Amino acid sequence: MLSYTLRRLLQLVAVLFAVTVLLFMILKMAPGDPARIYAGMTASTETVEAIRRDLGLNKPWFIQYYRFISGFFTGNSMSMTYRTPVREIIMERAPASIELGAFALIITLIVSIPIGIISAVKRNSALDYGLTVLALAGVSMPVFWTALMMMIVAGIWLDILPVSGRGELVYGWSFLTLDGLRHMIIPGLALASVQIAMNVRLIRSSMLEVLQEDYITTARSKGLKESVVIIVHAFKNALMPVLTNLGIQLSRFLAGAVLTETVVAWPGLGRLIYESVTRRDQPLLFGLTLLMAIGFLLSYLVVDILYSFVDPRITYD
Amino acid sequence: MLFSVHAFIFGLGIYRGRMIFISKEAAVIPSVIAIILLVATWILSFVHFKSAQAKESGRGFSYWDIVKRKFFRDKKGITGAIIVMIMVYMALFSPFLATDDPIEMNYSNSLAPPYLNHPLGTDNYGRDIFSRIVFGSRVALGIGAGATLFNMVFGGFLGLIAGFYKGITDSLVMRLLEIINSIPFLVLAILVVSVFGSSPLTLIVVLGIFGLYPARIIRSEVLSVREEEYISAAQAVGAGDFRVLFRHVLPNAMASLLVVTTMRIGVNIIIVAGLSFLGLGINPPTPSWGAMLQQAQEYIRIGWWMAIWPGLAIFLTVLGFNLLGDSFRDVLDPKLSKTSLQE
Repeated sequence: MLSYTLRRLLQLVAVLFAVTVLLFMILKMAPGDPARIYAGMTASTETVEAIRRDLGLNKPWFIQYYRFISGFFTGNSMSMTYRTPVREIIMERAPASIELGAFALIITLIVSIPIGIISAVKRNSALDYGLTVLALAGVSMPVFWTALMMMIVAGIWLDILPVSGRGELVYGWSFLTLDGLRHMIIPGLALASVQIAMNVRLIRSSMLEVLQEDYITTARSKGLKESVVIIVHAFKNALMPVLTNLGIQLSRFLAGAVLTETVVAWPGLGRLIYESVTRRDQPLLFGLTLLMAIGFLLSYLVVDILYSFVDPRITYD
Repeated sequence: MLFSVHAFIFGLGIYRGRMIFISKEAAVIPSVIAIILLVATWILSFVHFKSAQAKESGRGFSYWDIVKRKFFRDKKGITGAIIVMIMVYMALFSPFLATDDPIEMNYSNSLAPPYLNHPLGTDNYGRDIFSRIVFGSRVALGIGAGATLFNMVFGGFLGLIAGFYKGITDSLVMRLLEIINSIPFLVLAILVVSVFGSSPLTLIVVLGIFGLYPARIIRSEVLSVREEEYISAAQAVGAGDFRVLFRHVLPNAMASLLVVTTMRIGVNIIIVAGLSFLGLGINPPTPSWGAMLQQAQEYIRIGWWMAIWPGLAIFLTVLGFNLLGDSFRDVLDPKLSKTSLQE
């Protein structure tokens, strides 16, 4: 197990290295002169040159690459638009994204698990068919439109929910106040909507597979109640794919957050990505994207390792 | 017959497309749609031809015959097909369907609520929303389908060689996928588009090259196909790799290829809409659904109709492709029912 983990970690480092090179290449190809952007449009040529030297932009590319990387890991790289360390900006914005993602994840699980189970148990019934189509509809909705619709209906017509922002904060978190919670509902539901649909399908198919196993027949013939068979015997074993998807889902929330957070003016990391792209803030963009990649790869690894704990039948090596 | 009809539409689409669009680049879109339509027609006639052939030879029902029967019995699939057809023909015939100029502004008529002469209302520049949606279908379908074509060519090719040669090729391809997958696709798309610009053609190529997701599915399909005996038989007879890949492996991976392609179009349409929504995709004044929603954001208090219709158009189109893909999966190959819905 330990050697497996180590090998995977090494692989992860190799992939991460490639990701940084890819990102660096994309950023270097970007149009516009970073020094000019940093200096502002009215700055003189001398100032721009001075800034270029300052930022190391006149150095060869591998030195620039080294500066990007070391800046990321030491936390020294400076944002070009905020003029503060990238780390500070990310730390400041992270709570908003974390709580929104967690909230959306909770909604996703609460809604999708019962629906998935029901449509597997009542397979091929009208109810199952309806739920399948509904799930397809959920995947087909663009998140930003879902958020816009909820803003119009719940926020403006019915006037029961706030339309944008994070509301009242306590220690930088908004889920601690009632007002903040109310602000989370629209973006949280919008983010969850797509994931719910995907989760329902996943749970349904994995439940269907498990329900055909011999031990389910055994459990039934022992005279156990159907509800016990389904929840204790079947669902516990159908949980695996759901677990795999959880790691991927977390990173999908971040991606979906780019759009959702932009619509509802939620000051999280997703919105920060959008801002850093439009303002051509390369150090910030590099840091954010790399962080996202690290998070995704790590969650993948953790899920794989968790696997062997949940299911003792799985061994690596 | 069908072929000539579509060839006619093809020419018409390019001709009218040039006339209406301001930017020359956007004129490429109707031709992309027409090409896709042609491909679809070929696939349909292929299925039809195969089943007719089987009937003639008197060998009972062929695989494609069963596929056809199953498909026509599946309400999901038919609904999806109808939605997709409506959208495709809307894109091709948009100059004839639109009641108004989708680009010219008319301030005296801005933000008119839905009413007889403007069935879906007008936007803040006084442009008829219905006409803009009709023209927006060109962008959505053209780029969505065009990018998917690239996805399938690149991703499909990578998946084919990874699954077929295994070993070092396989692990190289898988690492490449891992690298690209570690950044959420939308974020990657934002990055790349911000660098390479966002003309329709660049969007198609960029989304096409980076959306390598299909590779994984094709690979796993090929991995199972290559163990079959007819592959070793073909190799024993002396068929080269190229021949084996394209004559024996690819046709047997066709079912999953078709499912992935159909669903991928939906994903790409949503991505393009998302990019345009952020102001990084299609530039105004070219009408696109995503950009229309971006514009609508500021007016949700006084002009709800600006926000509802373009989103509904995206939703319906993507739903159509998803229903179709889901039905293909049921119909073509029961084995596939386990693959997840999207990435």
